Amino acid sequence: MKLLRSLCSIPAALLAGGTFAQSQTPDWLQETLFHSGKINTVVAVVALVLVGLAIWMAAFDRRLTKLEKRNGQQTTDQ
Amino acid sequence: MRRNWWKALGVLLLLYVVLIGLRTPLAPTIVHVDTDRITPGPVRFIAQGYGTAFSTEQPPMVWLENSGQRLCAAEVTVLDPLRIRVELEIPEGFRSELSHLHVLDTRAGQSMVLHEAFWTGGRGSGIQEATCPATAFSPSAAFTFPNRAILNETIRNLFFHVPMWFTMMLLMTISVVHSVRALGAGGLRHDVAAVNAVRVGLVFAALGLVTGMVWARATWGTWWTSDPQLNGAATVTLIYLAYLVLRGSVADPGRRARLAAVYNLFAFALMLVFFMVLPRLSDSLHPGKGGNPAFSTYDLDDHLRLVFYPAVLGWMLLGTWMFNLRLRAARLSESRP
Repeated sequence: MKLLRSLCSIPAALLAGGTFAQSQTPDWLQETLFHSGKINTVVAVVALVLVGLAIWMAAFDRRLTKLEKRNGQQTTDQ
Repeated sequence: MRRNWWKALGVLLLLYVVLIGLRTPLAPTIVHVDTDRITPGPVRFIAQGYGTAFSTEQPPMVWLENSGQRLCAAEVTVLDPLRIRVELEIPEGFRSELSHLHVLDTRAGQSMVLHEAFWTGGRGSGIQEATCPATAFSPSAAFTFPNRAILNETIRNLFFHVPMWFTMMLLMTISVVHSVRALGAGGLRHDVAAVNAVRVGLVFAALGLVTGMVWARATWGTWWTSDPQLNGAATVTLIYLAYLVLRGSVADPGRRARLAAVYNLFAFALMLVFFMVLPRLSDSLHPGKGGNPAFSTYDLDDHLRLVFYPAVLGWMLLGTWMFNLRLRAARLSESRP
């Protein structure tokens, strides 16, 4: 019974104290990802999506440029 | 322009998602108490709010709830709009080992609960319930998103992480339809469409993986964990990468089209198994899994839906546009000038 009680107290302690202060988080993450209600996690996710799309755009741009060169077209917006 | 309305619609939907999805505040809530164990006798603790507007003019009403029984706070002092100091006289006899903290701010129309805030011993025969003073309460009508423990602000990632996978699945469905048609007459044309849909689909799979990893670090505490949903997503991504490798390894266009089409049928079936079946057969950290359908009322509230559905449609339209561009470029490169 004692063991059960002490086991029960672990999640309670984690829940009560752990919503914002993650104890095993390194400092740089604590100051970035976890800061002010973890809003920077959302910023990071949105930024990653935009970076990913930008990489795709750049790759597609190169592909089109190659096509244009092969077809001997002159592009006006170089 | 008339034929391009859907591209404009996609951009407008994503603009709406970014504006409303990022600017809507979270519902005010209690996120932390500075004591996690309470024992019989006088107890004093400080509760930390998030997005709250506590006022000294009218301090909020505070009570503990232990297996349905209420214990009202003896005194509540507002320290600042985000913090209150609560004083309680804890009697003997709590029935349950965990108590919830309720805070009712009638002035701001905010009702908040910190579930399982305290460990209270428990196993008693019940406490003497003190009647809390009755107050008229009208909830604030502000448009907010839920503020869940651990998730907090990251609940907004729902509009950016989840639609990546939906868009990927749409593109893979477009691809498999073209693959089926590639097995018939005029297969080469459909083979080009199928491979370009997979290439754009893999962009969204990659974005789904990295956004999921960042979200996992902030909520589960690790970038990756051996979870059926996560490993399934990684496996499906590898299966589709193998499709590109396999297709690239055959020189003859006719054989390449048939081989790639047949492989794509298997890849699509495996994607459905890894995404829709296996994670639901076992326990998973990932929401919507472990036997539950993803769109239960528990997972999504009505305010989130108002942004989530447009987000899914917006990202799908953007993905289809990307596929459209890539396919047109591929067709152009095939036609010899």
